[in-house]
Amino acid sequence: MEFRPILSALLRNKTGPVLVAIQVALSLAILANALHIVQVRQATAARPSGLERESDVFALQVRHLKADSHNEQLALHRREAATMRAVPGVLSVASTTQMPLAQSGSYSGMAVSRKQVNDTANAAVYVTADSLVKTWGLHLIEGRDFRPDEAPEIDSNTSSDFPKVAIVTRALAEKMWPGASAIGKMTYFGTDAKADEVQVIGVVEALQSPAAQVNADGGYSIMVPAHITGPADESFTVRAEPGQLDRVMKETEAALRAASPTSIIVRTRSMVEMRANRYRADNGLSWMLVTVSVLLLLITASGIVGMASLWVTQRRKQIGVRRALGARRIDILRYFITENILITSAGVTAGVLLALALNQLLVSKLEMARLPAGYLLAGAGIFWALGVAAVYGPAWRAATISPAMATRSA
Amino acid sequence: MLRMQNLSKVYRTHMIETHALRGFAIEVKQGEFVTVTGPSGSGKTSFLNIAGLLEDFTDGEYVLDGINVKGMDDNARSRLRNEKLGFIFQGFNLIPDLSLFDNVDVPLRYRGFNRAERKERIEDALAKVGLASRMNHFPAELSGGQQQRVAIARALAGSPKLLLADEPTGNLDTQMARGVMELLEEINAQGTTIIMVTHDPELAVRAQRNVHIIDGQVSDLARKTPSLYDTNAGANAHVA
Amino acid sequence: MFQYYFLLGVRSLRRNPALTALMVLTLAIGVAASIATLAILHVMSGDPMPSKSDRLFVPLVDNGPVEGYTPGDRTNQQLSYKDAYNFLNSKQGERRVALYGVAAAVESPKKDIGMFTARGMAPTGDFFAMFDTPFLYGQGWSPADDASGADVVVLSRALSEKLYGNTNPVGQRLTMMGFQYQIVGVLDTWDVVPRFHRAVGRNSAFADEDEYYVPFASAIRHETEHNGNMSCTANTDPGFQARLASECTWIQFWFETRSAGDRVELQSWLDSYASEQRKLGRLMRNAPNKLYNLMEWLDYLKVVGNDSRLSTWLAFGFLVLCLVNTIGLLLAKFSVRAPEVGIRRALGASRKEIFQQFLVESAVIGLVGGVLGLLLAFGALALIALQSKELTIVAHMDWLMLLLTFAMSVTAAILAGLLPTWRACQVTPALQLKSQ
Repeated sequence: MEFRPILSALLRNKTGPVLVAIQVALSLAILANALHIVQVRQATAARPSGLERESDVFALQVRHLKADSHNEQLALHRREAATMRAVPGVLSVASTTQMPLAQSGSYSGMAVSRKQVNDTANAAVYVTADSLVKTWGLHLIEGRDFRPDEAPEIDSNTSSDFPKVAIVTRALAEKMWPGASAIGKMTYFGTDAKADEVQVIGVVEALQSPAAQVNADGGYSIMVPAHITGPADESFTVRAEPGQLDRVMKETEAALRAASPTSIIVRTRSMVEMRANRYRADNGLSWMLVTVSVLLLLITASGIVGMASLWVTQRRKQIGVRRALGARRIDILRYFITENILITSAGVTAGVLLALALNQLLVSKLEMARLPAGYLLAGAGIFWALGVAAVYGPAWRAATISPAMATRSA
Repeated sequence: MLRMQNLSKVYRTHMIETHALRGFAIEVKQGEFVTVTGPSGSGKTSFLNIAGLLEDFTDGEYVLDGINVKGMDDNARSRLRNEKLGFIFQGFNLIPDLSLFDNVDVPLRYRGFNRAERKERIEDALAKVGLASRMNHFPAELSGGQQQRVAIARALAGSPKLLLADEPTGNLDTQMARGVMELLEEINAQGTTIIMVTHDPELAVRAQRNVHIIDGQVSDLARKTPSLYDTNAGANAHVA
Repeated sequence: MFQYYFLLGVRSLRRNPALTALMVLTLAIGVAASIATLAILHVMSGDPMPSKSDRLFVPLVDNGPVEGYTPGDRTNQQLSYKDAYNFLNSKQGERRVALYGVAAAVESPKKDIGMFTARGMAPTGDFFAMFDTPFLYGQGWSPADDASGADVVVLSRALSEKLYGNTNPVGQRLTMMGFQYQIVGVLDTWDVVPRFHRAVGRNSAFADEDEYYVPFASAIRHETEHNGNMSCTANTDPGFQARLASECTWIQFWFETRSAGDRVELQSWLDSYASEQRKLGRLMRNAPNKLYNLMEWLDYLKVVGNDSRLSTWLAFGFLVLCLVNTIGLLLAKFSVRAPEVGIRRALGASRKEIFQQFLVESAVIGLVGGVLGLLLAFGALALIALQSKELTIVAHMDWLMLLLTFAMSVTAAILAGLLPTWRACQVTPALQLKSQ
């Protein structure tokens, strides 16, 4: 092909080509990193919480003006649960102290032996008097669910009682007892001498923590059975029949208010809402990055089109001469496209290096992830294609320049 | 070599029709050196463009080296132009960003010669015009006369049958002009047919034959008259 | 002369509308993106109290267990009740404030509003003077009320208007958490951002204001649960009292000193306090005792997230791209004007004058780009603000940012125009005039 003369001509007249190459390089560097970040964030937001049919589940919190006595609260909670179960469309109700993806919750360092000095893992602690496995449709892969008699009634104001059994997530089990079955193992809530001890009786496939951290901690959860009294508010989680979530949410709230002799505050939040809140920032960032990427492509394309148009105008005479000397239309087209590919290639090469440098900066200063090679290849491909697409218009116009231009005097 | 019959060329721009050539006829035999003269606006340029297959014509017949070019599409014309014709322009029209070597190379690339063949032809052509030593220089480093000689080398490199020259000495001083003319005559002596458009009457008479165009038509076919520059001129030297 | 160049610049904009539009748009988009993200960053990282930020300090002592401790481990971000209590009584600095977040069920005096949950703070009385809170009605509670933990409350303007409309509610009683609180004051809208005083715990240095304030001692007396972070390193006995005696950290503390220089004295007091406590068997880790002034505290808490920084870097990278793009477009625009330059030079213009003319023309484009960029920036900020409540508070523009938009746009245009303008000056008059 005609590479050498085209290249030599470009080198003689560097400014325009360099400007285009710089634009391609910058765009590629930013685009590759931006799209990678989008993919990472979207992957994070797509992680399953561990709940079956999460969109049918919601959280409900009841707050009273004053806290009743221990026994009154026990009865109250049972009444409230029964009221909710009676609402048509409610499939299951369970008491719970926190919800996955809710962002606020309680965590504990976990240890595998009393002699440990440092925690093995940090896990989210879910306490239920009922069955979260049932209400949340958690997938039990080993062992069994709690039995109703395994949930002690604990007055948090006076008692230091603690349940004796627990269910952990597979991830937590792997971390605490790698390679072995967790069933039957003892685990401790902390490394303190007085740390509570429980025995693992079941393992579920997954249950995210309320914070749903990006790292492994997001999958470490432990459930214990207990019926706790003390604070003036209690929380439940409810599974509604598919497609009836909105109605069930409203009706359970109304039912509780109707059943309560005193005024109460009821607050419901669906898992859908909590998921949206948890990943709002990530989604916002993703949108922004996608918008910027599109703009990058448009601006780079416009830069290429602008430059190419300028060159076609500046070289009208030259193009006519080439045609006079025997170039066909397609030869002129090929000339410009080749020229464009050379420039784009220079830009892509610089862009790949710049993308790696930028990624290094992001990794070291902003705790972002490393850029996989696939994005660089994809980016290079995109810009080559963009370059040819952008230059096609001006190149076509150049090809239509009549050979008679050569004989014109001006 | 070249024959046109009843040729007409009409330009239509917006609402104006311009008849650049009407009923134009000319015949040029192999090996001839013909000059074409005429006042500005006479149609010289149109004739040259059509002869050079740079433009299509409205009506009539044009046969080039035995090939009837009527109705040929752009691609075919480009091919034919590339194989049979060589161009020399008034403004040299060298590509400034290419070396002399690469400039002469341009038409050869469209011909499809391989690398070795091209190299040989380019070196030969530049040697013929006396600029082989400056192959890697750029047009801006050369004088006008030298640039025109490179253009001639470019025109010759493909071994064309017919050379079309448009005011080749128009931008040159007298001495350079003389050099170029001598070169052209030498080329013609070696067998290449040359048609040269010029408005300089002194140059016109150097050729074997002169064709004069007025208002898009050939006005008279004068036989050669000896000129001042003609060293073979006999006692009948007559300055037109 | 400048005026002449300015008019020439404006006129030349009209000559090639497509090219001009493209240039202005590219510049505007780049400037808008940069300004929008910069504005947000500016608010997020700004000093919320410049008059006092160097003499407000957060003390941190490490009361964690010795076992398993590696020096350098990050300490807690709050204090235990014991340490907070001791600091309150230390008489160090000019003012001392301990606080923790609370929430309460509020019974509305208006019948049409049912009971609802309000989020508030339980600070000690110096809170209002330390943070220069603006009052709409009334004032903070008295030292006597503060010490005794009386049931008094200061409302936010929003809560006051929600419950009492535009009237002054001072003196009335409000039922919260089942107790009657007397309203002693209403705060005016308090727009301090980031909300440094309660940045820990509720994940939001940029959320809405707190709705009410009750005395620290009152909240303790009523054994009010914390509405924020609590971190315990050992099993604690049940009950609120046990928590007060434990090493769980859940209280924030602020010292205000007379001058920034008093920091040294405060630090040495803190160190001697810690060594005294060690004699009592507490603070056994013997970790460095820290004092953070306001800006250091915000930095420690990483209030400006990585995502915001990423956005700003991205926007600037984008601006650079737009700049390079504009250079190309200006090059194209100026290069077709070679004949004009030739004529002007032939008629007596010096290279310098040509340079000025074209640079001013670039600046004109920058000005138009700035106007469009400002509009786009407002739009972008509005879009961003829709995303979350936090961003609504943060995503707005102040005068400084406005001026910066124009400065940035004009500077960018001039920078982009330097090369093309220099090229334009190189035109040789003779060459241009001959080839007409």
